[in-house]
This record gives sequence, structure tokens and C-alpha cells, in this order.
Amino acid sequence: MIADRTDAQVLSAVADGDRRALRVLYDRHAPWLAVRLARRCADPGVVDETIQDTFVAVWRGAGRYKGEGDVGAWMWGIAIRRLIDALRRLPRDQVLVAEVDDRRTVEEEILLGVEYGDLGGVLRRLSPELRAVVQATVLDGLTSREAGRLLGIPTGTVKTRMMRARAQMRKELA
Amino acid sequence: MTWHVQPELLARYIGGNIDEAQAFSVEAHLPSCAQCRGAVAELADGARLTSTWEGIEERLDVPRRGPVEAGLVALGVPGHIARLLGATPALRLSWLLACALVLAFAVFAATRREHGLYWFLVLAPLLPLAGIALAYGPQVDAAYEVGLAAPMRSFSLLLIRAVAILATTTMLVAVAALALPGLHASAAAWLVPSLGLTLASLALATRTSALVACGSLAFLWVLVAGAGWRLAREPLLVFGAGGQVVCALVAALAALVLVHNADSFERRGDMT
Repeated sequence: MIADRTDAQVLSAVADGDRRALRVLYDRHAPWLAVRLARRCADPGVVDETIQDTFVAVWRGAGRYKGEGDVGAWMWGIAIRRLIDALRRLPRDQVLVAEVDDRRTVEEEILLGVEYGDLGGVLRRLSPELRAVVQATVLDGLTSREAGRLLGIPTGTVKTRMMRARAQMRKELA
Repeated sequence: MTWHVQPELLARYIGGNIDEAQAFSVEAHLPSCAQCRGAVAELADGARLTSTWEGIEERLDVPRRGPVEAGLVALGVPGHIARLLGATPALRLSWLLACALVLAFAVFAATRREHGLYWFLVLAPLLPLAGIALAYGPQVDAAYEVGLAAPMRSFSLLLIRAVAILATTTMLVAVAALALPGLHASAAAWLVPSLGLTLASLALATRTSALVACGSLAFLWVLVAGAGWRLAREPLLVFGAGGQVVCALVAALAALVLVHNADSFERRGDMT
């Protein structure tokens, strides 16, 4: 039964052109991807369209999954970029949410924070602008440029805000 | 994984009723936890997911556009015409590459041989002719039956394709002509003969198959060009002012025949 197989096995069946396998992947992943996208885009029509774009891309590019990391994370990487593409076609004011090159360091800091400090409190005290940049960069894994497109701000601004967010978090977690 | 999102927290996350810090931890957890993803799926709007899935299936069922077709659509050509043009054998990459190769040889020959320009000029009009020979018909066109069934006259299709072929090959030949040694106005002398031959082949195609029409015209062209050289001892005779005028007349005459005979092509198309 295909329903018993792991995501990676189902994905390789998708790569072989099995439409039922794509449906299985859809049933497993579309719901949480849709919820997560909806937190970054208020228009349900754009979210549904992005979900469609994502699964069409998965259907055509299933062979590109290298077996590294979770299939879920891989699919999110596709979905968030499709969302950015979709938002780029919309007027600027409908866009909700930003990026940094040394995101490894930030992730480490946040992980450190989970262990030693009050991360929740630190994130809560960040201004919404800084928090949006941390979310797009650390959580969504976007580059500064992609994050800028998602948030509707210039790449340079994303970098400055990430620097300020990092400084504030470092101070509070220290 | 031993940690899971509490049901109450998950429901608030789905409802968008959650603070950012908590959302961070849910979102960091979901990509790697099948159990919590399943819990999200159980709370999801099934009808909306079904209609989104139907949209995906619809898009997967539509054949993908090739590069030619996609380019034409981007230029504003209607979808159905773009598809029929995209299926033109002479607009395939393999065909265009073959043309480019032939032209490269012709240009190379022109740099090495005394009468290289002559050979180039004789060859240039033959390329669009060959393209048109293979533009339409049951033997060569993968989309022939589609074309017959399309709500469009077969002859219009042949004309549209002929224009596209003429445009692309002319562009290729023009680029090749720029590479000729000692660039000269006479390097453009193939233009009018090419137009004459193309129109004549289309006019003939109303009576016989495009393959036969183009084949016989190509033969005639080489014969006339060769005879001009042998009899008058002047290789470029056909390309001189007289030749150009004759070619222009042929083109005009062929255009008239074309308009007049368009209907007979249609009737013949039904029989093949």
C-alpha cells in the first residue's frame, strides 16, 4: 500500500510519474503548507494558487529531491518561493511580510537561546518588523533578497533589521 | 520525536490565534513531524483542499508548451495558433540547427572558393522552400489530423506556417550573409528570388502536394541558376537586375494564383 510508505518513497514514486503518489503527498502535506502559507499571505486565493503551483512543481521536479533532509522541509522551500513569485505579481500593498546571509549563526543563537534563556520572551520583545525578518530568514530559510520580496522591503533593509534583531537577541539572551 | 504540539495550541495555530513566538516553535516542528502534520490535516477544510487538488489535476492534464509555442504565446499569438505553429516541423530546434549547419558550410565555402558567393545565393532560397515542403501534410506533420479538425482552414494554417518559416529562415540566412567575406549588397540578392520561390511553391501547393511543389521548384531554380552561369558565362546573372525583376514578377503572379486557388486546396485537403 502506497499509504504506508515514507514520504521519500512516495516522492520517488511521484518522480516515476505516479499520479496516485502525488495525491498521497498532497493529502499529507497540503494542509499544513496551506496553514503556514496563510500566516504569510492574507489572501486565500493566492494561498490556494501557491499550493497548486507547489504540487505542480513537485510533480515535475520530484527527481530533484536529493534525499537530504525532510521531504516536508523540501516542500516548504518550494512553497515559500512559489508564494514569493505569486506575491510579486500582486500590487505591493497586499504583501504581508524578509533575509540574511549568515543565517547559520542566527540559528545557532536561537538554539542556544532555547537551551539557556527565555527565547519566547526575547522573540516577543522584538518589534514586529524585526520579528518578521527573523521569521523569514531563520524559520523560512530565505535569502536576504527573497525575504525582501516576501516582506516588500529592500534587501539592504532586511540585512540591517536582521543585524539589529541579532544584536538585541544576543543582549537579552546573554 | 517525543515532543508534539498540544492539540489546543495546534488549533489556535490553525486559527491564526497564536503569538509569534509560539508560532515559531510550531512551524519549526511541523516540517519534520508526520504526526503533528496529520493532526493539522484532520482539522483542515476538506472541501477547499479537494477543489485545490482538482485545480492541480487540471494543470497536470494540460500538455506542456514547447519553447516555440511558449514564446509565441508570450508575444501575444492566440493559444490555438501557437500550438499549430509550434508543431511545424520546420520550427523545431533540430530543423533550425540543420539550417544553421548548412549555412555555416555555405559561408565556409564562400570564403574558400572563387564562386563561393554564387553557391551561397543559390542555396539561400532553397532553405525556406524545404521548410515549406515539410510544413504541412499527412507524411510530415505530427499534428496533421489536429490541423484538419481545427476550426481553421487548412490553407490558412499552411499560410501561417509558411510566414513563420520564411521569417525564421530569412533571419538565419541574413545572419549568415553578415558572415560572408567582403560584405556587399549582392549578398542580399537572394531575398527576392526566395520570396518568388516561396510564393510560387504555395501557389503550386493549391494543385499538388507541398512536397511535389517545392521539389519541382527547387529543381527548376537550380537548373535556371546553373544555366545562367553556363550560357551567359556570368555566374551572378540570375541575381542581376533582370533576374530580380523576373523573380518579383513570379512572386506577384504566384500571389494572385494563391488567392484565386485557395478554395481548391481546402477541397483537396479533405481527400488526403
